[in-house]
Amino acid sequence: MAKTLAKEDLSINELLDKPWITIVWDDPVNLMSYVTHVFIKLFGFSKERAHELMLQVHNEGRAVVSTGTREEMERDVQRLHEHGLWATLQRDDKI
Amino acid sequence: MSSFEKVGDGYSLDLTLDEAHILINLVEQLLELLGEGDFFHHYDTSDPLAQLLAMPSEIVTPDDPVLLRLLPNAYADPEAASDFRRYTEPQLRGAKQKNLRIVREELTILVDENHGGVIEDLNAEIWLKALNDLRIALSVRLEISEDSFDKFELLPDEDPQKPVYAVYFWLGWLQENLLGLLA
Repeated sequence: MAKTLAKEDLSINELLDKPWITIVWDDPVNLMSYVTHVFIKLFGFSKERAHELMLQVHNEGRAVVSTGTREEMERDVQRLHEHGLWATLQRDDKI
Repeated sequence: MSSFEKVGDGYSLDLTLDEAHILINLVEQLLELLGEGDFFHHYDTSDPLAQLLAMPSEIVTPDDPVLLRLLPNAYADPEAASDFRRYTEPQLRGAKQKNLRIVREELTILVDENHGGVIEDLNAEIWLKALNDLRIALSVRLEISEDSFDKFELLPDEDPQKPVYAVYFWLGWLQENLLGLLA
């Protein structure tokens, strides 16, 4: 019984813990080719997917590049900052 | 015009002495802005052990707009942003300093020997990041926007900002050139 409860607790925690997103914001400095390069390098996207996300940043002003736990998103934001991209993390407000 | 070249598995950069001077000048200014007045640390500042003693007692959101853009807030919420900054900024700063120091060392050889030449076997990823940080720093000072290139072309030659814009666009050209080789 106790075991089952603990398991349920864990999955609830996971649910609560999950919906965080990393957003990359548009800026007039970073080259389009560089942003695409960084997306491929950091997230392992295909060239096409990286290009698509880069265009989304450029045209819409922002794009969600990763989803996961808060800790994971903090790591992604830090890596993006190391590459000079302007990134923030937040709770996914869709959920 | 100087450019990167792919040589076997490596990359090289051919620079004139003037170009090496411009680059090393900017690199050293940015290192100073990032808080590295002298360049002779024998430890790796991105090493967590080094941060143990060297970490400043208080890490606050930078006032300088260049630093704020290079070391940006990770959260829109100021409290979360400053908490995150307290734990991560030394490492981010250290990573940027490390890239710039490596580039500086490679440029030093040309500048000290007082001639242009080829920097061989350079680390493309480090150069990309260092060039990008230099461009970001200049862009904040120049208030670069989407239409800045048009504005630059219309500036009269005697405008004191013209050469600074020229350096900014040259760095972008260099970065694009290197990215083209990697693709």
